[in-house]
Amino acid sequence: MTEHLLIESGGPSAGQGCERFVEDALHLARSGRSTSLFLVDNAVTAAVRGAMPVLDRFVGEGGELMVDSVAVRQRALEPGDFVAAARIVEMDDVASMILAADTRVVWH
Amino acid sequence: MAQKITPTDVMLAVYGSPHQTELITTALRLTQALLDRGARVQIWTCGDATGLTRSTLGRTKPRNVLRWTTDYPSSASVISDLLDEYPDLLHWYVCRFCSDERGMSEQIPQVRRRPPFTFWDHTKSAGKLLTLGVC
Repeated sequence: MTEHLLIESGGPSAGQGCERFVEDALHLARSGRSTSLFLVDNAVTAAVRGAMPVLDRFVGEGGELMVDSVAVRQRALEPGDFVAAARIVEMDDVASMILAADTRVVWH
Repeated sequence: MAQKITPTDVMLAVYGSPHQTELITTALRLTQALLDRGARVQIWTCGDATGLTRSTLGRTKPRNVLRWTTDYPSSASVISDLLDEYPDLLHWYVCRFCSDERGMSEQIPQVRRRPPFTFWDHTKSAGKLLTLGVC
């Protein structure tokens, strides 16, 4: 089964593009496709509780939400700051997903 | 004669400006993670990102007056070391047009400058392509 990995780097402060990209991930998950969303750089702030409600809908549709450990530490954020479904991951985890043969990846 | 392009598992097209965001650091972190997994990787830089590997940067950044005795590596130095560490896995290409336009034609010896119309050939030689940043 094809996996979809969407990587968002801009975050809410970069404009509406971040939320629209998350909505793309939501549509993929809602259509039954296996979808993961990796938030990196400033985009990790989108996963802070209450920052972007569409993320809750994404997770509710079965999407996997991941945030970058380095970006989290750089911003002095704590695991408890994020929505419950967010999983803090290392870049090695993302590299593994990218290299999987059945994974399609988009970077935004 | 057309240069042979080494096939890779992943190609990162890096367009972002080096100092505007964390993009370059993240791109290098991802590159390192891919290489550590044994993946073949090619980087193509366009726009201001072509300046990452210009030879005039030297090995270190200008001295930090607050830490006088500490050397901080330049981006050219970091990338040069990475290319030396993974000579068979990592290939770094610089858009000739973008680097010429910005007066950054002098590049470190490990990278190859390529005409922009070969970008398509490079994308075809990669298993997966990610585009990072905007020119």
